[in-house]
Amino acid sequence: MGETIVEVKQLNKTYPDGTVALKNINIKAYKGEFIVIIGPSGAGKSTFLRSINRLSEPTGGEILFMGKDIVKAGKRDLRKIRRNIGMIFQGFNLVKRLPTVRNVLHGKLGYMSSVKGAFGLFDQKDVEEALDILKRVGLEDQAFKRADELSGGQQQRVAIARAINQTPQLILADEPIASLDPNSSRVVMDYLQKACREEGFTTFVNLHQVDFAKEYADRIIGIKDGEVFFDGTASQLTDETIEALYSKEKTKKQEAVV
Amino acid sequence: MMKNNRHMEKKKVQNTIFTVLAFAFFIFSMLQLDIVPERLMRSFERLTYIFGNMFPPKLNEPIDVFGAAIESIQVAILGTIIGILVSFFLAVFAAKNLTPFKPLSFAIKSFAGFVRAVPALIWALLFIVAVGLGPTPGVLALAINSIGMLVKVYAEALEEIDMGVVEALESAGASKVQVILQGVIPSMLSAFIAWSLFRLDVNIRYSAILGVVGAGGIGWELVKAAQMSRYDEALMVTIVIFLMVMSAEVISEFMKKRANAATAQALK
Amino acid sequence: MKAASIQTDREGHKPPTKDLYSEYRKRKKILFKSQATVFGVITLLALWSLWGTGFNPLSIVTGTYDMFVFMFTDLFPPDFSAIGSLIGPALDTLYMSYVGMVISVLFSLVLGVLAADFLTPHPIIAAISKGITAFLRSVPAVVWAIILVAGIGLGPLTGTIAIGLSGIGILGKAYAEVLNSMDRDQIEGVRATGASWLQVMGQAVWPQFKAGFVSWSLYKLDMNIREAAILGLVGAGGLGYYLQSSISLFQYKTAAMAILMIFALILLVEFVTAKLRERIL
Repeated sequence: MGETIVEVKQLNKTYPDGTVALKNINIKAYKGEFIVIIGPSGAGKSTFLRSINRLSEPTGGEILFMGKDIVKAGKRDLRKIRRNIGMIFQGFNLVKRLPTVRNVLHGKLGYMSSVKGAFGLFDQKDVEEALDILKRVGLEDQAFKRADELSGGQQQRVAIARAINQTPQLILADEPIASLDPNSSRVVMDYLQKACREEGFTTFVNLHQVDFAKEYADRIIGIKDGEVFFDGTASQLTDETIEALYSKEKTKKQEAVV
Repeated sequence: MMKNNRHMEKKKVQNTIFTVLAFAFFIFSMLQLDIVPERLMRSFERLTYIFGNMFPPKLNEPIDVFGAAIESIQVAILGTIIGILVSFFLAVFAAKNLTPFKPLSFAIKSFAGFVRAVPALIWALLFIVAVGLGPTPGVLALAINSIGMLVKVYAEALEEIDMGVVEALESAGASKVQVILQGVIPSMLSAFIAWSLFRLDVNIRYSAILGVVGAGGIGWELVKAAQMSRYDEALMVTIVIFLMVMSAEVISEFMKKRANAATAQALK
Repeated sequence: MKAASIQTDREGHKPPTKDLYSEYRKRKKILFKSQATVFGVITLLALWSLWGTGFNPLSIVTGTYDMFVFMFTDLFPPDFSAIGSLIGPALDTLYMSYVGMVISVLFSLVLGVLAADFLTPHPIIAAISKGITAFLRSVPAVVWAIILVAGIGLGPLTGTIAIGLSGIGILGKAYAEVLNSMDRDQIEGVRATGASWLQVMGQAVWPQFKAGFVSWSLYKLDMNIREAAILGLVGAGGLGYYLQSSISLFQYKTAAMAILMIFALILLVEFVTAKLRERIL
């Protein structure tokens, strides 16, 4: 096991209306791990990912990222932490009117002075890097097209490029292939996995396709009713566990050793 | 089926009642306004006389109609620019998804609603009392009237943007200013341009009549000509106003197309 | 590894990053140029207008301040005792808007039908009809009012005609557009059964036209209240006239009441038309 990148301790999230989304989550992730999170919809997968970079505020617990507690970080520190965490969304979330390359460059905003970034004054080095990354996701021909002229799979690759451009320690991908067809899903997952292998990013991916999870994951975490239900390798994930994970009934948690 | 039929019938009866009431109210209003055939005939005679005196339209020196028209346009331009700048700033705080403080959003929107409900010409009248005659109250009146409308439409355009984009940039560590300039503005730019040009068009229309209450521009020339019974001149001023408004419409339409074409070209 | 294979089969036609970068510069330059032109033109227009009107940018601040002072010292509190004498003018404003609307609806229906591509008896008539509406639309109601005040004198009749005239400009165009956007097949279908012109209008055109007709006409009524309130400023009767005279007599608190009344009338009519729209459609 390499260096610990994220350590989630006793993470809790309760919405103002009393709904409990996350209950005492404890997860440790190491450098370069490709972790897929599965579980029924509404189980709290998305809330968990969004809590890590505080797009959704946790109500209790600690998230240690490279030794710093994200939950307690002030505005300024949060910005610094966030630039080290790339995020990929189900809906791609690109600025549709802007060219692809500009969207990739947005990954650098966290490293720029507020004014320079606001006016999009990117250095030659930044631009060349962005173009290089676009090449790596096979989209150099689309560099100057408007983002919304690209297909869904291509847009998601641009979003991956944007995340890579942050040179992050951690990538969070929230249902990255849920709105894509099977073929583009595979391409996107390949690129995501490749990038993480090459750069040594630790990655959390939420998926609802168990087969994809088994195929790509170094480690699988099952979340049910806001709690960690399973944590182990793909081979440890038996059909019974899967069935229990997705069944409506409350089942006793099945611990697997990492 | 039965129920549907009955519903249709009820609707039909209802519509007939509406029509009858509408007609009755029309007659009643006519009587209240003392619009009776005899009076209409008399007015008609007067109007034929005046229209007869309008042709050919001409200009008597020393009225500088074109100068006045240009002043109107300048008033419109300034009012629009000020209106756009202030409105955009306010709209960022008024848009529910961007405001740092919900009650602030509500306060700005209500303010805009109030300002919008008072017609531009009344604003001009009030500004004249507050700051004196001339183009200045005209500019301010158009600016504030523009704010009433633009804050609303800009805020709506902002509320319609994909919040995912904002989240994506925030999660990349972008600051608030960066999120707005790099993510929000590009997302709403076409709506912003379209509404701003539309408002320029509206303001040019208004600026033509601001002079009527003394707030600068061509309107005053019309009042003068009409009061001095120089109907040929009045027609000439009307024609100039017509051309002004017409060309404003054509130009703003052209610019809207141009703006879309320019961005399309840069991205090709 | 699966992922690596993707990279190799794409490797063949990859342009070097340097070329892509110069492409980026080129595009950035074009974009910058067009943005600079837009901002340049706007700045020039602003400067030209500042010079032409002698508007002092500082007066944005001082003017707003003066306005606040004026509002709080002179306008507030409104003189509520004036309500009694305001009810007459308010009703006049309402009547003017309504009668004006009916006038524009009647004329616009004729002009709209004449201007619609497939209902017009002749393209030239359509063009003439469009020309008339365009002209009426481009001349503000206040201008009509000024000319008519000179012609037939002060009073609500003048305002009514002015509103009616300018309304034709808006409704004539709107009706023609609604008519033009209708589904032609339905009309052809009814026509094919050998129906008369009137039957075609009633059975095929009206059902499709109704929604647009009602909402545009009610929208115009909304607009008319605002216009009617303003027209009074040039002597065409109603609340505006009352407002104008109380301001010229320096009775600002009465004027404030008149403004409040205009405000209330606008909201009231907006509420009623919204309800009507709901009920009818």
